[in-house]
Amino acid sequence: MTGDLLVIAQIAGRRCALSALDVKSVIEIGTITPIPRAPVWIAGITALRSQALTVIDCRRALGFGGGTDDTDWPTDHRAAVVADGGHSYALMVDSIEDITTAADEAGQVPGGFGPEWSRVATGMVETMAGPALMLDLAALLAGPETARHEIEAAA
Amino acid sequence: MDDLLADFIAETREMLEASGGELVAWEADPADRARLDTIFRFVHTVKGNCGFFDFPRLASLSHAAEDALADCRAGRREPDQQLVTAVLAIIDRIALMIDAIEAGDEFPEGGDESLIAAVDASHETAPSASLTEDKEGANPPLHAPADALLGTGEEHAAPYRRADAAAQRTIRLPVELLDRVMSGVSDMVLARNDLAHRLRQAGNQPTIDGPFERLTTILSDVRDAITRMRMQRIETLFGALPRLVRDLSAELGKQVMVDLDGGDVELDREMIETIRDPLTHLIRNAVDHGIEQPSARLAHGKREIGLLAIAARQSGNTISIAISDDGRGLDEDRIAAKAIATGLITASERQTMSRDKILNLIFEPGFSTAETVSNVSGRGVGLDVVRQNLEKVGGSIKVTSVPGQGTLFSLQIPLTLSIIAGLTVDVGGHRFAIPQSYVEEIVQASARALDFTRMGETALVTFRGNRVPCLMLGEVLGLDTCEIAAREPTLVMLRLASGDLFALAVEGIHNHGDLVVKPLAPAVMRSGLYAGSTLLDDGQPVLLLDVANIASQHNLMSDTRVRAIGSLEGEAAVTADAPRAMLFTDFAGRRSAVRLELVQRIETAPASAIDRSAARPRVVIDGLILPLIGLPEEALGMPRLRLLRLSDGACELLYAVREVEDAVELKDALHPVPEDPLAEAMTLIGGQPVTLIDAHALFALHGEPPLAAARPRCVLPDGEWARTILAPLVASAGYDILPEGTTDAAAIGIVFEDVFEVAEALGRALPARVIRLRDQPDAPPGCATIYRYDREGLLAALAEANRTARAEGEAA
Repeated sequence: MTGDLLVIAQIAGRRCALSALDVKSVIEIGTITPIPRAPVWIAGITALRSQALTVIDCRRALGFGGGTDDTDWPTDHRAAVVADGGHSYALMVDSIEDITTAADEAGQVPGGFGPEWSRVATGMVETMAGPALMLDLAALLAGPETARHEIEAAA
Repeated sequence: MDDLLADFIAETREMLEASGGELVAWEADPADRARLDTIFRFVHTVKGNCGFFDFPRLASLSHAAEDALADCRAGRREPDQQLVTAVLAIIDRIALMIDAIEAGDEFPEGGDESLIAAVDASHETAPSASLTEDKEGANPPLHAPADALLGTGEEHAAPYRRADAAAQRTIRLPVELLDRVMSGVSDMVLARNDLAHRLRQAGNQPTIDGPFERLTTILSDVRDAITRMRMQRIETLFGALPRLVRDLSAELGKQVMVDLDGGDVELDREMIETIRDPLTHLIRNAVDHGIEQPSARLAHGKREIGLLAIAARQSGNTISIAISDDGRGLDEDRIAAKAIATGLITASERQTMSRDKILNLIFEPGFSTAETVSNVSGRGVGLDVVRQNLEKVGGSIKVTSVPGQGTLFSLQIPLTLSIIAGLTVDVGGHRFAIPQSYVEEIVQASARALDFTRMGETALVTFRGNRVPCLMLGEVLGLDTCEIAAREPTLVMLRLASGDLFALAVEGIHNHGDLVVKPLAPAVMRSGLYAGSTLLDDGQPVLLLDVANIASQHNLMSDTRVRAIGSLEGEAAVTADAPRAMLFTDFAGRRSAVRLELVQRIETAPASAIDRSAARPRVVIDGLILPLIGLPEEALGMPRLRLLRLSDGACELLYAVREVEDAVELKDALHPVPEDPLAEAMTLIGGQPVTLIDAHALFALHGEPPLAAARPRCVLPDGEWARTILAPLVASAGYDILPEGTTDAAAIGIVFEDVFEVAEALGRALPARVIRLRDQPDAPPGCATIYRYDREGLLAALAEANRTARAEGEAA
């Protein structure tokens, strides 16, 4: 973990880290074609050259009410392009801050990160740019419903 | 060395695969020259190659087979059943050895000698050469003339060998590399579109437009080629089937004939691999359970030989494969009893289930009807696995069966990475694509004309006299749609694979064309509404609707295949009966009809596209200026206009109408109306009088042949002056310039006076109409020539020549 390159982004006003190996590129989000009847955290699809990217609204994917028109957190209209299971996604975040290296292993903090964050976070990681929450890509892309299903199944 | 060995193994495998079908065909007709040659070539190549690699056992096996086959080719020996079996055994052994070599195992010793002996033994018992000749003479084989068989084999075999060597020049590539090239080409296409857009904005630039056009053509060629690289004929899969069926039927003591159809259907290479096992399984099942023993077949009055037909068809973005046998059929009661016994259904459920539903229970997990598990089927892999495998790639399987007559398995397989023809539609400000293969027809009409009604929550429209369920795409997708569009919807009539028809109401049709469909993220696929995404020419992503799934979500898909077939047949019978016509109301308020064959399309044009400055109004459609009739005298009070685009094959014209009603059948008698020159007849449609437009009169009066076809041709004199100075003038006068050296009697010739005189003096052939040019401004008296820089004179002469040519043409 130490020395790994991380992409530092702001999501819902929090500093988060993604492994730079997962992030193919950072793009300016252009026109998003909405997908009717798709889960709310899928903002739509957008074109990157000849590729269609599924745009994930990270705030909603975490389970927050957010959205692009939300003025609580300013956005810079950039997105990180990631691939998972043969499909490419654009992660819509507040802003992309930096690329930096991890200073230690991801660790837990007393009291946890809160229900929304715990689902997608592997832990806190110290970086050159300060502490950030390390995100699990697959959990993020699974969306908030899976968590609810798991809870229901467990109950 | 390892590379060479891998190549040897791969090549031998390929040949084994290809020769599987040949072997069986050869067995059916041992005298078949072409098959014999193929198999000979195979053993010959193996022998040659393994000498190189030092595989003595392979070499001796292939050598023995080669010797025996060479004797057959030279006519010293007749290929009989025994020989075929012996050669097949050797080829099987070769295949096993190849497997062992690849795995790096030692192949168990022994057994080779008996195989070699079998080939030789059959030699000793073979009939003498003279007997062979007699037999072949009496019963000439189908594939080669008898004299070719009796002559020396070598000359005849030679061309085959060369053709084959050329066809086998192939290389192996990793699929990822192909994918990368493909997406690269797609990116290039998008970059080209972007460039095209910018070039249009920048205006005409002849120096750039030419190369750009060339780039476009090359790109589309490359794109086609790349697409074909991924595709493979299903033949490669079919090739192994005759052998499979032969071995199975031999093992089970049955006689089965295989009929393969549609081998030229192309499928994604990966998809072929995916369906290989399910297909094999179904064939095993058909031979094992479906087709009866020969004696049982005879007892039921059937032919001794069972028929197994496998047919592949492409329809739109799916490939359907039908596997049918003429065996005993599925036993509904036994399946039901088994299903009840295994707890799949309850006895009361069984009472309400249709036969089809019961038959399709065989695909449920844990179901196998075979009472005795034979060596052939029942290897623990049931039909449920077949269905699972197909569903994994988005396919489906269904079974229908008639007791005592046979069983039909129909597989639907999507073309994964497919380029499909699609229609893009607009609804509520969004754009979606629909696979063209589902689209039966597009209907534009008012809600009243369609008899739009709501029964509870379901909307119905009347289409060709049938009530058809209608889905509002906007509602299906939960979009806000505008009111005006709802009153005058565009209906896309969709015909499902099951034969069910339904209408999808959209706000407008945007375009149609080829779409490269890519898969969507699983979270989006779960909505069940979309089948994939595609990019339009402008780079805008568009979702492809999953028509079949949308229909089944709204319970519009019936389970019974039988009904679908019945209704299709009924429809075909009706269409064959009566000629059909497009019914409409024109601007004079008259209900009229025009024969449907003439109607190319229903166009909607904005009022601004209409030009009324000339005596005859024109309208611009798709960048063409076309004559327009049927307009009212007064100004149009509407922003858009419905137009019927009529064509007689050569020329087109547009007929403005107030409202398009429907396509109808002309069932009633046609009464001629001599007083109206534009009416062919009056007839009754639904009890109302309707004027049928006389297409002949219409095109005679208003038709304008397209400009290109009407251009007269002109032959110019030789020389630089004619090419650079005269040609542009002639071309702008509306003539096509014929290339030098061509002769065309109908063309107008322009010649210099001196050339003309010489030609006349020598009696050389000249075009019928000639314009003579002179070099001096002043005309010598009594000479019908034109000074070569007399622009007006030249143009007048050209116009005159054109007029006389037309007059002659029309008189003729």
